[in-house]
Amino acid sequence: MEQTHNRVQHPPDNNLVWGILCTVLCCIPFGIVSIIKANKVNQLWMMGDHEGAYKAARAARNWALWGALLGPVLIIFFYIVFFVIYAGILFTSY
Amino acid sequence: MQASSLHPIRFYKTVLLFALLAGILLVYYSFDPSEHAFFLPCPFHYLTGFLCPGCGSQRAIHQLLHGHIGLAYNLNPLLVLSLPFLAYGIYNKVYNYLFNTQRRISLFYSNIFIYGYTGCILFFWIFRNIRA
Repeated sequence: MEQTHNRVQHPPDNNLVWGILCTVLCCIPFGIVSIIKANKVNQLWMMGDHEGAYKAARAARNWALWGALLGPVLIIFFYIVFFVIYAGILFTSY
Repeated sequence: MQASSLHPIRFYKTVLLFALLAGILLVYYSFDPSEHAFFLPCPFHYLTGFLCPGCGSQRAIHQLLHGHIGLAYNLNPLLVLSLPFLAYGIYNKVYNYLFNTQRRISLFYSNIFIYGYTGCILFFWIFRNIRA
């Protein structure tokens, strides 16, 4: 009872901080999606869809997280690809 | 709800995380990303050649750590202007985590703020590419 009462009182943490952090630190599309999701948390909560609000909050966090992880992974991947291409050019040109 | 008290394991985890963060910031303090090649470039800028809203943040962090707020603002105004919100938001997150509370920042639930902020990002994104 205490738990449910608590849940009704407070909307879920909308994780807007992570969205902003992700956008400002260069993981563009994901960060903006995260901010939009964070905005949905509030709207769904106001409409009384508490389950949906929690889902949106989780989505906001996950988009920011994926953005933060994917940025470096992507860039390292491209480094490897270009390294292979350069190495290929180097060896075939002799 | 019981009175909030410090959660010991979470406290140590937080200390560890902040030590890690301090280590990363030390790297950003010691090396200027505009002079050293081992920093990761922005994937968006790397692929398309256009600037994204976060481009310049690494260089801006370096300047901020040296106390050059003006130089940091020139490199990425969005980051510098977002810092108060980020600091407040992260403080709130850490507080909730440590004391197991459910504090919320009403500003972050305001539609005007979120739409305004998103608008600023999009405007800044377009504007800085036109200007460059």
